[in-house]
Parts: sequence; structure tokens; C-alpha cells
Amino acid sequence: MLKVKRDKLPQVLSVWSEEAVVYTPQEEDGVSTFRPWTGQAEVTFKPGSTVLPPKELFFPRTEEMYRYRVEGQAAFLEELSLPQQKCVLVGVRSCDARSLLLLDDVFLTKGYVDEFYRRRRENTLVVALACREALDTCFCTSLGVDPARAEGVDIQAWEKDDGYLLQATSERGKALLDKVGTLLTEVSEEPPAGARPSLEVDPEGVTEKLQRMFEHPFWDDLWHKCVGCAACTFLCPTCHCFDIQSENRGNEGFKFRCWDSCMFAEYTRMAGGHNPRPTRKERVRNRILHKLRYFPERYGKLGCVGCGRCLERCPVHMDITKIIQAIKEVALDG
Amino acid sequence: MAESFRNGNPLVPQLGRIINIVEETPDIKTFYITTDQGKPFTPLPGQLAMLSLLNVGEAMFSITSQGPEHLEISIKKVGTLTEAFHEAEVGQTVGIRGPYGNGFPLEMFYGKDVLFIGGGIGLAPVRSLINYCIEHRDKFGHLWIIYGARSPADLCFKKDLFENWPKVENCRVDVTVDKGDDTWTGHEGFVPAFVEELKPTPQGRVAVTCGPPIMIKFVLQVLEKLGFKDDQIVTTLEMRMKCGIGKCGRCNLGSKYVCLDGPVFTLAQLKELPNEY
Repeated sequence: MLKVKRDKLPQVLSVWSEEAVVYTPQEEDGVSTFRPWTGQAEVTFKPGSTVLPPKELFFPRTEEMYRYRVEGQAAFLEELSLPQQKCVLVGVRSCDARSLLLLDDVFLTKGYVDEFYRRRRENTLVVALACREALDTCFCTSLGVDPARAEGVDIQAWEKDDGYLLQATSERGKALLDKVGTLLTEVSEEPPAGARPSLEVDPEGVTEKLQRMFEHPFWDDLWHKCVGCAACTFLCPTCHCFDIQSENRGNEGFKFRCWDSCMFAEYTRMAGGHNPRPTRKERVRNRILHKLRYFPERYGKLGCVGCGRCLERCPVHMDITKIIQAIKEVALDG
Repeated sequence: MAESFRNGNPLVPQLGRIINIVEETPDIKTFYITTDQGKPFTPLPGQLAMLSLLNVGEAMFSITSQGPEHLEISIKKVGTLTEAFHEAEVGQTVGIRGPYGNGFPLEMFYGKDVLFIGGGIGLAPVRSLINYCIEHRDKFGHLWIIYGARSPADLCFKKDLFENWPKVENCRVDVTVDKGDDTWTGHEGFVPAFVEELKPTPQGRVAVTCGPPIMIKFVLQVLEKLGFKDDQIVTTLEMRMKCGIGKCGRCNLGSKYVCLDGPVFTLAQLKELPNEY
């Protein structure tokens, strides 16, 4: 097993920075998120995942798609070059690593490839960091996520008191470690076991149960306390909905996409006024069904990774683990 | 199938222009769209196009017909973008990407009699299939078009309804209006009641319907009463859409995306999905 001493980590990041933008978890206005590392000597990884998920490195909050210019009846369109920047994302937790695989299913499969996402994804290497400590809101193991070994990443790291154990889990990850070989030492230490979250829920059978519950009175009560703020979908590492809008400046402008949320009424409201999900009841139902029924039906996996962001940040304490449990306890006829 | 995207990026349109505008009704116009390279793409009946005025907006429309060099898209004035289209003139540059969606399941119609039931602008997507059946006349049995609108002035595609389609061999056209005027000598009444009056039989026949949700709801009840089974009835849905490629999320009906897995569904398929459209 390779190991980097704690005080050598900035040097490792520095070498990687020669060819890529290195992102680490950093706090900005008290909110942790992945930001470009700019040579800070102190690199720390707080327990749990960042407040904002790493999805915006692949699927930015707003992203310009193309520019245009209008002259009378004529119009001209200028494509933007797709993102080329190479990135290394350091300190991704196992829950968020799983979320990237789920986003891959959405953006890269089922007939069409989203070129903006694909290019960013291909240009980014992911260094996962095992969890030594779980937060009260973590429940990743309930979704089959191993807090000590992330799926689909390039390097797995484990934090020790004096440094980090490192293991390449892809060819590109191996090349990345080779670049910093002189800063690493070979050790005979074993990777520590991951922290086991105390919050648990068993989602087994919830998809099948929900397939029989669309019209169930269960939904009549659930939504009442929801204020429709959409924090849950904004913070969710697997939520992928977006809007497409134009920004006009005189006779020029650009088309961009930006995150959107199924918790907003405008999301489904059609020209002419008809809205298939007119109240928060239908919108809350859609969010829960999307994570636990529709996503599994479409992609064969639950759409939740157990990161706990939605239940930690919900202003009215909606808790998806309690909702899963309640769904399982609903009595159905037949 | 040839697709119309820029450099393989399915979210970026190609530019086209309006070469003809037909005023169908006081609030519906049909736009003929082409590009410098000819027809933007060749859609199947029932497929969709994402059409834009670059500095106004972009929305999904059904493609009502096509010629060798152009696509035809009928637009009802209901909001900001559609109002801007109604103010556009021949020569206007537009953005267009597509085709999107599944289109009508043609193999389901081969060798069968086909009943088309449309209301208002809902005839637009159905018309693409009617025209396909007429172009491939020997592949289909009897064609029967039942159509209605609010008033005689609101009847869409009048030339087809009263001139072109009645001339087609083994084809029947019945038209109704909710309320006639001084000049109207045809049938008066709502579409569902008209269908019930005309009593089309279900044997060897497939029904296709599109129109306002309230019309569809009652048409389905009438068809059921007449003995049509769920797998003999086809409809095409509309939903708010942004991407057209099953990623942006909003047009989901359960785990299906209307832009990708629809917009055409049989009633049997729809009954398997959440009732949320």
C-alpha cells in the first residue's frame, strides 16, 4: 500500500496541478464545497460529505450552451467549445462517488449522450476518501455504499493520523500516482474499516411497494409541511433536472441551461396553463417516486445514495429514511 | 435516421428559416421550415421538433406534415414564444433540432382500418399519420377522420378536411363544430357525442385520438362503449419539455419520458403509467 505523509499532501496536489485543476473540499461563507486548490498549505477533510455535492463539477449550476446574434429576420449561432480543462477531484466520499455513476446513467445512456457532461466527466479524475467518521445524517450503508471503498473512482484514499493510504483503482489513477511516486512511501499498513453510520433504513422492496401506491392516501398527508423550497433537490447529488433559458443582451444573447427542480410549480406548467403536477402533493410524490421507484425502473438502481444532505438541510425536517420506513409500513389490500 | 444536431451535440439546434406560413384559424398558423441543406431531417409520423426563435425561446412541437424539402409545424397562439411565431414572417430564421420521440407505431396500423379522432390543434400530430397513410395507401384499410373544433372558423387544415382527404379512395371525413354560425350547414356538437352517433365498429380497426384533455377523456369513454380495446387505441401526449433527450427530467410519466419514450402511447400502455398528464 502506498502512503503520503500528511505534510507532503500539498506537494502531491502541486504536482497534479501542473496539468489539471485540483479541487478539494473548502468552505466558502460557511458552506463546504469543492473549490480549486490554490496552494493552501493546510488541506483538511472534515467528516462527512461537503454541503454542496460535487455534481456541479460535471453538471454546473448554469452552463452556457451556445451564443446567438439576431439581425432583423436573420440569426447567427456560435457554438462554444466544449470544456477541455483537465481536473482532479480530491476527497470525494463514497456516497458522492456512487452519485456520479447514477448521473452517468442519466447523461450518458438511453439513446443520447449529453456532450457537455461527457466531456467534463472524461476530463476529471476522482480521488475518493474513505469515511473515518459518519455524521448523524449519513445512511450510505443502507443503500449498499461502502464508506471505505468508493465505486467507479480512480484512486481510493484512507485517512490515517499521520497521512493517507492510497490505492489506484483505475489505469488513469495509477498514472496519477506514478507522477508523484517520489512523494509516496510503500507501507505495510492495512486500510482501516469505514465508519458505519448509526442511521439505517432497509429500502428492500420499496420500489415494488411504490409501484402499487401512486393513488394511495399516503401522499395526502406527506406534503403538508413541505414549503417547496427545493433545497432537497438542489443539494441532492443525484438530482439532474435542468431548465434551458436564453439571456438576451440587445440583439445578442446566449442559451444556457441551469439546475431546475421538480419541487417548483413552473417546472411542469405548460403554455396555456395546464399543469400535470399542480400542487405540492404531486410534486413531493414525484420526488420520492423518482428516487425510489422511477429511477430504479429506468436504470436498475435506487436514485438515493444515503448522503443525508436532504434530511440535514430540509427546513421542515422531511426525512427520506423515515419516508422509506413509512412506505414499508403502509398496509395495501391484496 | 438522420438527425439535426450540431456536431453531434443534441442540445444545439441547426438554423433554418420559414419559407411559407398558412393561416389555419384565427389563432393557429402552419409554418414551413427548411434549411440551406434542405429538409432539416426526415421525421416519422408523430415525431417532434424542438423549434426556437433564438432571442425568444424554444419549445417542442409536433410535426404535422413534411415535403421533400421542408417540415410543417402548426402552432397555436398560447404564450410568449407562440405569439412571437405568429408575428414572424416568411424569411425568419429559426432554430430547429430533432426529430424527437417515438412516433406512431406504424406496424400496428398496417392492414387495418384506421379511425382518426381529432379536436382543435390536436389534429396536427394526427395529420402526420393521416398523410402517411394516404401516401402509402395500399398498406392500410379504410381511413375515417372525425374532427371537430369550437366554431367553423376554428377548423384547422380546412383544405385537407374539405378538399384533399374526401377525394382519397376509401376514406371518409366527418366534421363537427361545437357551435355553428350562419353559414355552417354541417354537424353541430362535441366530438365525443359525434363519435358515438357515427358508431365506428372496432373490428379490424385501430383508433388514434388527440385533442384537448377533456375531449380525449370522453372520446376514450365512447370508444370503450363501442367495444374498442385498450390496445386498439393510440393517443399522443403533450408535456412541458426542455431537452428533448430524456435528461432534463420534467416530462416524466412515471419512469417514462414523453420526449423519448412517447409522445405516442397506446391506451394499454398509458394505463400502466401514473395518471399524471
